[in-house]
Amino acid sequence: MEKKRHFTPGKIVMWIILAVFAVIQIFPLIWLVNHSLANNNEMFTSGILVMPETIRWDNYVTAFVDGHFLLYLRNSLLVNILAVVLVLLFSVMMAFACTRMHWKLSGVVMGLILMGMMIPIHATLLPNYIIYDKLRLTDTLWALLIPYVAFSLPQGLFLTSGFMRSIPKEIEEAAVIDGCGIYRVIGVIIFPMLKTSLVTVAIMTFLNNWNEFMMAMTYLSSPTWKTLPFSVLEFTGIYASNYAVQFAVMALTAAPMVIVYLCLSKYITEGVAMGAVKG
Amino acid sequence: MKARKLLSVSMAAAAALLTMSATAMAEEEPVTIKVFSNNPDRTADQGLVEQTIFDAYMEEHPNVTIEVEALDDEAYKTKFKAYAAGSEMPDLVSVWGQPGFIDEVIDAGVLAELNPEDFADYGFLEGSLDGFSGDGKLYGLARNTDVIVVYYNAKMFEDNGWEVPATYEEFLTLADTINEAGFIPVAMDGGDKWPLYIYLYDLMNKKDGTDLMQKTLDAIASGDYSDLAFIEAADMLREAAERGVFQIGFETTDYGTAQNLFTNGQAAMYYMGSWDMSMATNMDIPDEIRENIRCFNLPVNGENADPLALTAWNGGGYSVTENSANKEAALDLLKYMFLPENWTRIAWENGVCMSAQDFSQFATGNETEVQKQLMDMVAEATAISGTSIGDLGTSEYKTVCEDTVQQLAIGSITTEEFWAGLSALAGK
Repeated sequence: MEKKRHFTPGKIVMWIILAVFAVIQIFPLIWLVNHSLANNNEMFTSGILVMPETIRWDNYVTAFVDGHFLLYLRNSLLVNILAVVLVLLFSVMMAFACTRMHWKLSGVVMGLILMGMMIPIHATLLPNYIIYDKLRLTDTLWALLIPYVAFSLPQGLFLTSGFMRSIPKEIEEAAVIDGCGIYRVIGVIIFPMLKTSLVTVAIMTFLNNWNEFMMAMTYLSSPTWKTLPFSVLEFTGIYASNYAVQFAVMALTAAPMVIVYLCLSKYITEGVAMGAVKG
Repeated sequence: MKARKLLSVSMAAAAALLTMSATAMAEEEPVTIKVFSNNPDRTADQGLVEQTIFDAYMEEHPNVTIEVEALDDEAYKTKFKAYAAGSEMPDLVSVWGQPGFIDEVIDAGVLAELNPEDFADYGFLEGSLDGFSGDGKLYGLARNTDVIVVYYNAKMFEDNGWEVPATYEEFLTLADTINEAGFIPVAMDGGDKWPLYIYLYDLMNKKDGTDLMQKTLDAIASGDYSDLAFIEAADMLREAAERGVFQIGFETTDYGTAQNLFTNGQAAMYYMGSWDMSMATNMDIPDEIRENIRCFNLPVNGENADPLALTAWNGGGYSVTENSANKEAALDLLKYMFLPENWTRIAWENGVCMSAQDFSQFATGNETEVQKQLMDMVAEATAISGTSIGDLGTSEYKTVCEDTVQQLAIGSITTEEFWAGLSALAGK
């Protein structure tokens, strides 16, 4: 009897709606994988999904070999992990300095950094290139790392400082009374309490930079540090492109991101919501 | 004793070092040539031809390493600007022999001057290097001869009893018939916009083929587009679109989709440049379509019309950069690339494209039908249009021309508004 009560009409409707949403959300991925197994000509047949005559696993082989997938994957992982670590570190330090410490220009500095969110990437491409060129930094890991960290910092600061304001000051005061130094307060008290917000910042930084191409294309020239989006480019012709292999590359590129998202997704909504209330 | 021993050892070492460096000097010094190309796909079509030549060059010159950086057109142009502003310009670069691109680059002093006499016996077709020159000096070499044609599916034509049209009227009537039969008459890549202004230019060229490029340049400079051939051509483009010659939604169809409408047998014809002759050797395309691809020159009739006029131009090419660290080596590579037995032969024999040089000497008789047709068309041509309208002005002119020709084709502006819009750009 009790079990039956769970299936009220309202719940059934809710389940149906959720199922429809789930299908809509997951469909692009199914579509991507489906098209990556067809040949270039079959992709243009009418109908949403393709029924390939022969399943073209060789698209993935081509993507791996001709697309320099492993090299680019290594570069993407390295740049992104470093960027995430640096963004987290700087965000927490800056948020602490701007929300907890009392100094004259704290509000102005924070405002200036947050204004960085409004700067479009395209406007910075050429000036940055000239600066890197003078500093001999083009075509190095720094050429990607610096702008990736710089463009992710405002958002990181915004979320962390909002969250930090919601932590009662008394906890830190108690720690200081017990003999805690400032670095220990940040490292042992604040850091663990910021977990949800830091996961959000990490995921957002990772997702934004994983697919970034404009800056990578401008600042890099040799394959040494090229990232995954270049893999798609390897199959772009002057006029027509090898779409099927490009789909295979995109499926491979999306996989690590989907995994990261699935592992950490439960923290995302929580983090954004909690940061936003006091932000 | 110990000191003396140490001295003799170090002297021996110094002598050995000297001998080693002398031997190294005798061999050629290693050189790295940086190439910046707009052919990202190195495994197919023109990218493959380029890479094949580079690989052969490196084999013949073991001391040379060629590093290729390749981006697609838009990204290429953005990065080109960045390179030009910095100090690390690559040695050999892709360029477009069109005023919208090359004028600014030549003015900025980015490209090195070439000696035309070096290439005198390379067999470049007459006029093909004009676009790469400025103030009578040569700055680059043309890669291809691009001809715009109508590809058609010969089997579909035969099965349905359709004939290749001899006049523009017949072409329109044929389109109606094909529509009635439930197929798309002409697959058009309207999403990329430039095929539309090439269609317009094609009509202008055939309406009045005499010295069209100069007339267009004059019109762009003065803003006076009152030439009858211009006005009629714009009307004809609009009429064709209204009458359903192109597929529904052609203005949003991109290159790949338009091509595939044709190669899947949904469209009977396809309006595109000669580089797409590679469809006839593309094994992804079903046999019955691939083997039946043919082409014809869009027919236009009228008082001054010239049926043998071709709308053709030399778009892409290569230049050596002025500030290149390895200018001599890059120039040597450029000369090697354009030896007729390299670019021209490899591109032609693989059915990739027609070079800007005399490719007929490499005819083997084993060409695809469409290759033979194109070769005949070029041989018979009485007039060649040269660079088309959208590529004759500044980059701003190109953008406006692209946007408004698309609006004209879908009927959201009138012919008068179209020409007035271009007129307003005069002198800018």
